[in-house]
Amino acid sequence: MRDLFRFLFRIRISLLFLLLMGISLGLLVNGNEHQKAQAISSSNAVVGQIYAWRSGLVEYAGLREENLRLAKEIADLRDRDARSRITVADSVREVRDTVMHQQYRFITARVINSTVSKARNYLTLDKGSLAGLHADMGIVGANGIVGVIREVSPHFALAISVLSNDLPTSVQLRNTKHFGLLRWDTMDPATASMSDVAKHVPVQIGDTVVTRGSDKIFPIGIMVGVVSNVENDPGSNYHTITVKLSEDLTQSGYVHVVENMLKLEQDTLQAKAPPEE
Amino acid sequence: MIGKVLANVLRFMLLVLVQALVLDHLDLANGWLVPYLYVLFLLMLPFDLPDWAQLVVGFFAGMVMDLFSSTPGMHTSACVLMAFLRIWMLRLLRPRDGYDHTRSPTIADMGIAWWTTFAAVLVFVHHLWLFFVEIYRFDELGATLLRASLSAVFTLALCMLVQTLFTRVSRSR
Repeated sequence: MRDLFRFLFRIRISLLFLLLMGISLGLLVNGNEHQKAQAISSSNAVVGQIYAWRSGLVEYAGLREENLRLAKEIADLRDRDARSRITVADSVREVRDTVMHQQYRFITARVINSTVSKARNYLTLDKGSLAGLHADMGIVGANGIVGVIREVSPHFALAISVLSNDLPTSVQLRNTKHFGLLRWDTMDPATASMSDVAKHVPVQIGDTVVTRGSDKIFPIGIMVGVVSNVENDPGSNYHTITVKLSEDLTQSGYVHVVENMLKLEQDTLQAKAPPEE
Repeated sequence: MIGKVLANVLRFMLLVLVQALVLDHLDLANGWLVPYLYVLFLLMLPFDLPDWAQLVVGFFAGMVMDLFSSTPGMHTSACVLMAFLRIWMLRLLRPRDGYDHTRSPTIADMGIAWWTTFAAVLVFVHHLWLFFVEIYRFDELGATLLRASLSAVFTLALCMLVQTLFTRVSRSR
């Protein structure tokens, strides 16, 4: 017995190493689950606050571009405003809109931390559950999609960026309506690839790629990017399409978080479909 | 003694902030160069720190980095591995008459040859582990290996730069 203790004492450093390694591997493996990631993510209060300070400083450097972008967005919204249109048909007087229910609501938030050079990239937003944010809400920038929220704390939200291989977004070609999955396996923050588009579909460089809306996260038709390269791999039945992302993810600023107000209704209905055997 | 602890705590806080607020936001060479300068803290821990304490310090240092980068376990495991190897490297590179505890593992105190051997192995293993855990697969073996190696060299260069700028020869005896 004494020899056993002496032996254990002699290898105590290796035992401690194995224990600590075991704990960190446990964190690593379980870390992707919702609850556990919440405790240890940059949406926690102290780290979130430090990142908020940083972005408060860095923000000044980008104010000029930010203003330009906002001005463009305002101009775009003015174009769509009712006041910049004239009435063509006088006979229609009453507009009681029972057909167009509002499905999506947009909440403005600021990106206070983001990376683009990791294998999995995350962003932290300066709003959290108190502002009505919750997991699985989409994030769109002025020019296109940005990411999806994973975790929220009262004042911050942690989102996984489009620049991440485990966030396949369902997208479609705007012209032909053929859909596929957008994946980030290019390791280049300016591009992503679109898979699952069959060979018979005509795809041209310059075709616009938009969201499909089937994931209940992004509305239909949000800009994603333009096809920048189509490769013809003879061994595959599918096109290899590279998409130039329209949103510049290396810049961070203000974004809109999308709330799908009819998600619950759609989920409830879809749950009634007979399960696959 | 208190001064040594304080110096290390301050160094840790500074390096973590520089890492999280500046270096993590660099996008160099399309993600081929990702420096993790914070490992300099682990490299520069004092010689007379007991082995068990090195492991525990490594564990918590990695955990703080994980908090900042939302990657549970990634930096923690890499740092624990590095701390364990550090114990062995120190044994392997021990001078004939042991370490002088008034000195610290820096270029200025131990010489460039000793320090480079010591640091290169540890930084390389740390980066290799980190990049493979980050990508979570082995199918881009070559690319990940290259990425880790290039980044490790970059980190080492940064460590040397920081040391030549900010550390002096410890007053001995």
